[in-house]
Amino acid sequence: MKVVITGIGVISAAGVNLPQTLETFQHVRRNADFTSLFPIDLPYPVFEVPNIPEKWQGNRIRTLSLALCAVEEALDDAQLSDKLSGLRVGVCLGTTVASQLNDIDFYDTYRNTGSAPMGPVDRFLKGNLAEAVAGAIGADGPCCTVVNACSSGSDAIGVALSWLKSGVCDIIIAGGADELNRVPLCGFGSLGIVSDSLCAPFDRDRKGLNLGEGAGIVVLETEPVARQRGKNPLLFLAGYGLTSDAYHLTSPHPDGIGLESALLKSLIDADITPQDVCFVNAHGTATRDNDRVEGMVLARVLGQDIKVLSTKGYTGHTLGAAGGLEAVFTAAALREGWIPSSAGFVNRDDEIPITPVTKKTPIYGHYAISTSLAFGGNNASLVIACTESHS
Amino acid sequence: MSLSIAGIGIVFTRGRGIDSYDDALRQGWIPPSQIELPYVPDKPFLVYQIEKETLTDRSILKRIRRADRFSKMAVLAAFDAVHDSGITREDEISSLGIITATALGPHTTTFRFLDDILDYGDVNVSPTLFSHSVHNAATSYIASVLNSHGPTVTLTHFFFSFHQALILAEAWLNEGRCKHVLVGSVDECGAVMEYICSRKLRTAQDGRIKPFNFSPFPLAVPGEGSVFFLITRGECRKRYCEITGVYMGTNNIEEDRPDMYVIDANGLTEDEIKYKDTLIPNALVAGYAPVFGSIMTGSSFNCAAAALMLKNQVQYACPVQDNPFGVNLCAMTEHAQIEEIQCIKNSCDQKKAVIKLKRS
Repeated sequence: MKVVITGIGVISAAGVNLPQTLETFQHVRRNADFTSLFPIDLPYPVFEVPNIPEKWQGNRIRTLSLALCAVEEALDDAQLSDKLSGLRVGVCLGTTVASQLNDIDFYDTYRNTGSAPMGPVDRFLKGNLAEAVAGAIGADGPCCTVVNACSSGSDAIGVALSWLKSGVCDIIIAGGADELNRVPLCGFGSLGIVSDSLCAPFDRDRKGLNLGEGAGIVVLETEPVARQRGKNPLLFLAGYGLTSDAYHLTSPHPDGIGLESALLKSLIDADITPQDVCFVNAHGTATRDNDRVEGMVLARVLGQDIKVLSTKGYTGHTLGAAGGLEAVFTAAALREGWIPSSAGFVNRDDEIPITPVTKKTPIYGHYAISTSLAFGGNNASLVIACTESHS
Repeated sequence: MSLSIAGIGIVFTRGRGIDSYDDALRQGWIPPSQIELPYVPDKPFLVYQIEKETLTDRSILKRIRRADRFSKMAVLAAFDAVHDSGITREDEISSLGIITATALGPHTTTFRFLDDILDYGDVNVSPTLFSHSVHNAATSYIASVLNSHGPTVTLTHFFFSFHQALILAEAWLNEGRCKHVLVGSVDECGAVMEYICSRKLRTAQDGRIKPFNFSPFPLAVPGEGSVFFLITRGECRKRYCEITGVYMGTNNIEEDRPDMYVIDANGLTEDEIKYKDTLIPNALVAGYAPVFGSIMTGSSFNCAAAALMLKNQVQYACPVQDNPFGVNLCAMTEHAQIEEIQCIKNSCDQKKAVIKLKRS
């Protein structure tokens, strides 16, 4: 059974919708600065969404605001706004921050006084991302939040693919969302993998990641359902591979065996060969370990000449949103026929056998891959297809 | 749907392992621990905690010495489920799928990380605490201990994460992503959560969860623990029962009559009246939350009890039998011919989930 992508929506520091994001990509704008969202004693630039559209600002959970903004764009794109009634609609979203009760003020008050107002707890209990989005759009199909750390967004899309193939629903809102938050910024800082300058994925002189925030959402449907409502599908979710390194909590396996396996499984799932892949939107966080291992594996599986980019140079590492955002960027690139310059890359690293694109590059082909690696040794690979090629 | 439960591992307040759980179900209710909340010394708080000794198994945990309590619970339950299934072939274990359901994640570690931020500042926090505060740390440790390289996912949903995990497990088996799937739940109750429970829940002062009071103001006794099931469609040495369906929603549940209902009423929803309306009159009803406590992912514990009953053809007496509505309670532990059990859970927003289990 084929699964169709009928709608896409994004919000990140690169733009509050897809057209704005593509313009940012075209002009290689990198909207990073120190955060205005919370006080912090760390000198790290971040990719913050400067202006969440007013319609979504009232929400007291920032991650949910970001998600709903991208969901609205995706549903509009799919021509499904206000038309979900009567359809079996599922919601599967990835996140990290929104899954945790990590309100510092609440906890500080509790520690100091033995009592604390329950407002943050109530928000947390009402803020399970998928549940909250399902409630907001009136979806009553399967619903869950994937918390696979930095591959959550990709894995949520992968779970959605499995749901559709097994027939538990007709349409799924899938992807990821995460807000900038002091807790992960401190945490990643403690791991020594955050850069104090703009991130440079795959570059020889890369110093680490920049955190970001955003949401990336796809509307997925089975092909018959999409055609039944008059859609002529252009984009497909063709394959998904997911593996575990079973190696280390925070470092990828040095030989990348898990990522290689995930890539190969996604190709088999899509029933294509490595030669069919026209580009890869890599996880490319700009940490020393990730980029070395990922670059090595991409070259091994897809060849050294594969066109590669990391969009984290435009969005930062958006954690649970990253897989969702990058799936949308991959789909949009296939539809538009070009990929942007891999922002931040200048000098080739001798340890990395691939070279990211350094300018806006036309792409010719039907298939592209988006990869995600995560804490816990999770490796995810999504194959996205476009029926039209720009050749 | 037709999946076999081939192995079960469990860590709960009275011990570890499916035999301990069987013993506890036969023994019935015992009072929970009485603790003092750190800042409320005058008001005792009742909780079904897991003893530290339950989580000391050096042979299994030596590879994960830094793991927190949350991860250890999950690892031990998952490891025991594989062991219980009798699956020993390295290639089968190394390709296991693993799906972990949790409602609240490793919040104790999250709060310890917040301690670091508050006590030592943004610059001097512990990377170990941070990396263990992510929800999927437990699943990662399970994969590591089992040396399993198959697909792994951690799901969260406050009421139905275990049900969603079962649905995904079936999908993975259908797609051939793996031959067997470890599906389970884990949730802990740390000090801050105990405080939150004391504020948010009506807690049973006598320590008794009363599943059949069908009260609009139900009483809870917080608990913690982990259950994992080895789910398969393949050959296996042992079979507890078959999972024949997982249904969720408001009105799409078939109303066929099982031999027994096991209900998840445990005081965590705002209103338990709906459970009464769900039951077909005079059907045999049970609920075992008083054995393990009020846990958001408690469906998995009741599912384990149902699987034991189907395998052993025994019905366990309800541990607390307050029964103001006169439902047909399972009152005695005795041999019984049971072909089908439905495990039912209602959420705060009156959604319902049913897991249908049949004798193998």
